[in-house]
Amino acid sequence: MKLDLIPHGLTTSSDSKESQKNAAPLLDSLLKNLPGMAYRCLNSKDWPMEFVSDGCYALCGYDRRDIEEQKVLWGECFTLPEDVERIEKEVTRAVEKGEPFEIEYRITTRDNQEKWVWERGRSVEWRDGYHILEGFITDITDRKLAETALMNEEAFAKALVDTVVEAVITIDEAGRIDTINSVTQEMFGYKLDEIKDKHIRILMSEPNNEEFVKYMSSHLSGEESSVANEREDNCKRKDGSIFPVNLSVREVISVSNKSANLNFNHKVERKFVGLIRDLTARRSAEQEAREQREQLAHVDRLNILGEMAISIAHEINQPLTAISMYAQSGIRFIDSGTSKIDRVSDALNKISIQAHRAGDVIEHIQQLTKQQDSRHQETNCNDLISDVHKLAEVEAQLRNMKISLELSDKLKQVRCDPIQIQQVILNLLRNGMESMEGVGFESANEIIVQTNPTEKGIKISITDSGVGITKEFAERLYMPFSSTKESGMGMGLSISNSIVKAHSSKLDFINNKKAGVTFFFTLPYVEDVL
Amino acid sequence: MNKAKVETIIDKGQIAFIVDDDEAVRDSMSMLLETVDLPHQCFSSATEFFEQYDSSQKGCLILDISMPGMSGLELQEKLKEANSLLPIIFITGHGDIPMAVEAMRQGAIDFMRKPFQEENLIGRIQQAFDCEADDRSVRDIRQKVVEKLALLSAREKQVFLLVAEGQANKSIAYDLDISERTVEVHRSQVMRKLEVRTLAQLVRIKIDSEKPS
Repeated sequence: MKLDLIPHGLTTSSDSKESQKNAAPLLDSLLKNLPGMAYRCLNSKDWPMEFVSDGCYALCGYDRRDIEEQKVLWGECFTLPEDVERIEKEVTRAVEKGEPFEIEYRITTRDNQEKWVWERGRSVEWRDGYHILEGFITDITDRKLAETALMNEEAFAKALVDTVVEAVITIDEAGRIDTINSVTQEMFGYKLDEIKDKHIRILMSEPNNEEFVKYMSSHLSGEESSVANEREDNCKRKDGSIFPVNLSVREVISVSNKSANLNFNHKVERKFVGLIRDLTARRSAEQEAREQREQLAHVDRLNILGEMAISIAHEINQPLTAISMYAQSGIRFIDSGTSKIDRVSDALNKISIQAHRAGDVIEHIQQLTKQQDSRHQETNCNDLISDVHKLAEVEAQLRNMKISLELSDKLKQVRCDPIQIQQVILNLLRNGMESMEGVGFESANEIIVQTNPTEKGIKISITDSGVGITKEFAERLYMPFSSTKESGMGMGLSISNSIVKAHSSKLDFINNKKAGVTFFFTLPYVEDVL
Repeated sequence: MNKAKVETIIDKGQIAFIVDDDEAVRDSMSMLLETVDLPHQCFSSATEFFEQYDSSQKGCLILDISMPGMSGLELQEKLKEANSLLPIIFITGHGDIPMAVEAMRQGAIDFMRKPFQEENLIGRIQQAFDCEADDRSVRDIRQKVVEKLALLSAREKQVFLLVAEGQANKSIAYDLDISERTVEVHRSQVMRKLEVRTLAQLVRIKIDSEKPS
């Protein structure tokens, strides 16, 4: 830096004492009211001040005198060391070019506060070719802090926009795309330059969908600006594929960047942010849950039979237990001699009462099954069988078996209570599977469900290759509580039979030539019933 | 069923407490126990039984596992909290096996599925009675031992424990920093208060006192 040495006290001398006298009060009051400090200094190291205005106290905490008598030097005491070089360079550059300089830097005040200041000054010829600097310094700390905060906020907002799962798209008043975040690129497959300034409609599956147009125009016209109204719609990717979304638009007021630095004449731009969330995953989860619910409800209905069996078991077990104990007591009374013979008739009476109680339970069950007769409807019997097949297949796989369907395509419509008929078929399939498991699948591991149109209706037959039905058991096949299974309740065939009867048919069976048994029944055609 | 054995049961004052919500089951079981003169009482609910229960009642409990109101399992838990020694035979229905397993884990002595063999029931009640009598005598012995031990002074108790451990008077005297003569005096006091004459009997008392209640 070039140093122009000027004798001390030079600047306080004046050409005309008269004019200074007149000008002083006005100048003083003008300077006093400046929001900062006006100065005149030598353009030498540390910028010794010849004159400063009263604003110096507010700015740096020293009186004019301290500074003007150069007890403290601007460059040494106030300016932050790391800023000095930058200031010197800028001042030198400006002075050499004869331009004013404008510079922002930091100072430390008397009470050790750090402040940001803005300085504007220029080199002025004083006399005899000597140059000095004149200028003005003002505190811009508040503005600087606000700027920093704003910068942080912007960085934060950008980071946020890039981490959200939604596509974030800013659009202008006309609905034209301005910016997009990275999610938008992934979601739609477009890069910004491909869709910039295009109408947001380009992303919709039906750009002219009336509702969407209405939705957008109500936002863009400001009717809906304060509320972020959401809507579900379908969007279109670059490759043309459609996907479900949740869409919301919200207005943001933005001051255009060009005008932000000036503190007047704001130009307000209306901007809108569109948030688009891809609902594909959620939709398919919902769909799955719905399907599962339906499946469960179906299984539930079909399991009524099983549940009934359990509660029947309980209801019947009580009188059976009592009967058994009364009987045993009777025997013991008889064995113990004549003294207790009157107790025997007591025991027998009670046995009789309990036997009737058991009978009542069974009658009650039969009434229950009859009550269910009312829901006969036109049904596609192939669909009905396929449904049961799906349910029973899981069980079959667990047992390493197969259920084959041989369904006739000719006539399919029957009139029946589909749930009850499914119960019957499921029950027959289960019986068959258990029976085949009982003989260790010696002949085959396949159950066949067949349909055949006959004169009276569609005949449904279930063929297994298990133990078959012995002549003795055949007689009490449909009686409640007769079972060949160790854990069986003996209710399945009994209930199945009453259901089939209610369909004006008969549950019948025939032992197969090779192995196992075929159960069959016939469901009436729709026309026959009508 | 051995008749002599039934009589020994009666001597012990043991009672079979039947808790079942089904009147016919209760009544028939009652009749069956009547044939072998087995003392019993019937209750139609767990609550009814628990309200009259006191810890002096001896015998066993024949308990229906699923009843309206307080269930069999809940009664079992309440009795356990009351430190009851009554063994429980659970009566279960068709689908109650998981509950029965839980009941066994909680300390039930047995369970029977409805409908059951009558001989089985009487035999199992017999076993439960025996079991309860054993438990009770163990508890009574322990009770007595605790009472006797309470009579010992602090010093006597120290001597008792060391003697029971098998230590000689000399080493006890050294351990407790007292004279051998004093140990002898304490030792004879311990024997007198605990009403034992031999070292073996004294060790027995220590073992009994350590049995879990």
